[in-house]
Amino acid sequence: MTPTREGRLFDAFASLADTMVVGYDIVELLQTLVETCQSLLDVSAAGILLAAADGELELVASTSEQSTLVEAMQLAAEQGPCIESFTTGEVVSLPDIEHSPPEWAQFQRVVREQGFRSVYAIPLKLRDTTIGSMNLMRTETGELNPEDVRAAQAMADMATIGILHQRALRDSDETREQLQRALNSRVLIEQAKGVLAQTHQISMDEAFARLRSFARANRQPMGDVAERLVQRTLIF
Amino acid sequence: MADRFTRAADALTRCDGTAAAMTGPLLDAVGLDGVSISTMGEFLGTETLAASDDQVARVDELQFDLGEGPCWDALALGRAVLEPDIRATPRRFWPAFSPAIAQEEVGAIFAFPLLIGPLRVGGIDMYSTEPRELTAEDTAQTEVLAGIVGRHVLRRALREAGGEDLPGLGSRTSRRAVHQATGMVIAQLGISADDAHLLIQGRAFAEGRPMRDVAEDVLARTLIFTVTPDGIEEDR
Repeated sequence: MTPTREGRLFDAFASLADTMVVGYDIVELLQTLVETCQSLLDVSAAGILLAAADGELELVASTSEQSTLVEAMQLAAEQGPCIESFTTGEVVSLPDIEHSPPEWAQFQRVVREQGFRSVYAIPLKLRDTTIGSMNLMRTETGELNPEDVRAAQAMADMATIGILHQRALRDSDETREQLQRALNSRVLIEQAKGVLAQTHQISMDEAFARLRSFARANRQPMGDVAERLVQRTLIF
Repeated sequence: MADRFTRAADALTRCDGTAAAMTGPLLDAVGLDGVSISTMGEFLGTETLAASDDQVARVDELQFDLGEGPCWDALALGRAVLEPDIRATPRRFWPAFSPAIAQEEVGAIFAFPLLIGPLRVGGIDMYSTEPRELTAEDTAQTEVLAGIVGRHVLRRALREAGGEDLPGLGSRTSRRAVHQATGMVIAQLGISADDAHLLIQGRAFAEGRPMRDVAEDVLARTLIFTVTPDGIEEDR
């Protein structure tokens, strides 16, 4: 019997909560979040961008590691609904990319090339603090249905609380540092993907999957596993 | 006796990376009369960066003017070339350099290449007025020091040439490609992330291309750094 949508959503929240309990790994948390959005909601691709120490947005998790999607997601840090959502702290919907404002022309072109028709951006925000933004891409035009919006917002909120939970919210320096650490571990993860891709002659997507499953199986943050792969103190 | 090399390695690591700051620690470690640091070859051009006295500057000058000598051989061979008694019992013969050096107050010359992977950056010349041996241990330790010197020389050259990636649209995506390529080079050569990054940067500089382009070649496996019996080379 196929589980109900409510049942699957419940599972998704439970697994997000698990990620926070087991070990503190922001990258894994956000990766789980984008994959959950892709599998449960009416979206084709998802990505999360966090604010780096210099205030710019950087991609930290996406539903595919393929460079074309990564490029589209990364471009969202510079123009389009995602950066606007981060700046305003509000949800930004672009129900039809053909009706993009002219200043989003490059974003429009790259997103269209990927076959996406509409974009929905949700801020990662807790009270006054916005730490990033989640980009949901769809291959159809139109608004995301209200139920999916609620679910995505709830998961984004949960992830935000997860990221901020160990820190005093007043202390924005600590928060920035925390986010920067996550983004730095993303650098190590990219390098580790390269190590695995070379060692096993596999794609970057496959390399990421192996890194992640090793980290999960050993209950270690992906960034830590990546660091040891890069330093060659861990080989698999 | 390893102490003086450890101290020299620390001093070299912590110094500002100018060649003038590096001759002192080298002399302290090896205890010879003079030392010079040069860039050599097409990559960075042939030029003495620093010489601790006029005599060693003259040794460089002779070799650069004549286009032959221990330093050139060291660079070509990728290992130290030792002449413990160059006047009485020379190990190698250079048609122009050998008679010229016999006119100088030089008893022994030791030449070390500055290499970072396949990049031949330059060399270190050391001399003493009297003949003397350099033990295998001291030779090996000096090669380690030459490694530190070579990285400083290359970093400074790249910085002065503005060889960093230009910021701009899509630069963060390009960093991702560079990180992944760095990982692949780590696995290809078994070197550190810093060295792998430096190799890609140096390659880009040498070819006058953006780092991202070189990284894309690595990712596409059209540029592979491999270890050959003669040292490290790149295959296309």
